[in-house]
Amino acid sequence: MTRALVVSCHPQEGSLVAAARQRVVAGLETGGAEVRLTDLYAVGFEPAFTVDEHAHHLRPGADPSLAGHVADLQWCDTLVLVYPTWWSGQPAMLKGWIDRVWVNGVAWELPDGAHRLHPRLRNVRRLVAVTTHGSSKLVNGLEGEAGKRTVTRSLRTMCHPLARTSWIALYGVDTSTPRQRRAFLDRVERRLHRLA
Amino acid sequence: MLVAVVVAHPAADSYCRALAGRAVTGLRAGGHEVVVLDLYADGFAPAMTTAERHAYHGDTPILDDQVAEHADVIRRAEALVFVYPTWWSGLPAVLKGWLERVLVPGVAFGFDDAGKVQPGLGHVRRIVGISTYGSPRSYVRLVNDNGRRILTRALRMSCSWRTRCRWLGLYAIDTSTSDERNAFAARVEREMADLR
Repeated sequence: MTRALVVSCHPQEGSLVAAARQRVVAGLETGGAEVRLTDLYAVGFEPAFTVDEHAHHLRPGADPSLAGHVADLQWCDTLVLVYPTWWSGQPAMLKGWIDRVWVNGVAWELPDGAHRLHPRLRNVRRLVAVTTHGSSKLVNGLEGEAGKRTVTRSLRTMCHPLARTSWIALYGVDTSTPRQRRAFLDRVERRLHRLA
Repeated sequence: MLVAVVVAHPAADSYCRALAGRAVTGLRAGGHEVVVLDLYADGFAPAMTTAERHAYHGDTPILDDQVAEHADVIRRAEALVFVYPTWWSGLPAVLKGWLERVLVPGVAFGFDDAGKVQPGLGHVRRIVGISTYGSPRSYVRLVNDNGRRILTRALRMSCSWRTRCRWLGLYAIDTSTSDERNAFAARVEREMADLR
């Protein structure tokens, strides 16, 4: 059975991203996956990597207060990130979850004598991003798609070597029609149902 | 010119904060007026709040006094200098959140009647990034340099077509020698003194 961790991030209930989160969970569940959901705003996640964490960043393990986040990340085989793209990247709330949870001993390790980080999240075989962009695909392309590269390159390198990535995005939200937004939500549920 | 130096590192005694100090020294020697926005020292909260998200497209998107102070500096600044460690190929959550909360409509850009983004930082002549990286330069350039992309592409799109970008990176910091770090700090000070 697919074990899916959904990490979602939007400050506003009733937003398109909040609707997408519900459709992600619905798609996964009707597809037969076991789902754990972390809504970072709902749990009041603190995104800033702290002085204390920095002082101990070479020692393996996340801050003890993050044990639940670590357990969920190490449990899942499918990780789904649901967020709005702001300034062409993940919102600070989600970036902070990455900064603080994907640490030494959790996402990676550096054995003695090694020259590069070794991945530790080999349990993650599928990495999915569901996101909305205010501006068009062209503008996002010119801006370099930093958020997409963070998921499909940076995060992926710490997952299973054969991990696959899925990018499910709606571009041009600022000028989109209700019909386009409905079609996006339908697409989200359909894709996640198939992935489950 | 008026230069805003935005610094994001949790530890007061870190190399990154020292780099910020050298940048300020150089800028002042070059005759510039400098305002330092030290996000960790000032306890800047990274996550856009629900109330701020509701207000984002209204007449007063800024609700917080500290954010308003920072926005006033940015409205007058002719150069933006960012000093931060690159984490997960991108900006630390605190700096990403600063972009999201300070560079809002009415400060960094506006929307026209069709909902398209119009640049609002035409007065910014220079964008400078000063960052430390764990990975070697070849890897960073080949695979991902998402923080740089956000600042020199996405943010630059809100500036003028004449705005120039300068990037100073210290790569593979974990295996760097103290001579290399000292040389880089000296280079930062020199280049900032020559900033025009």
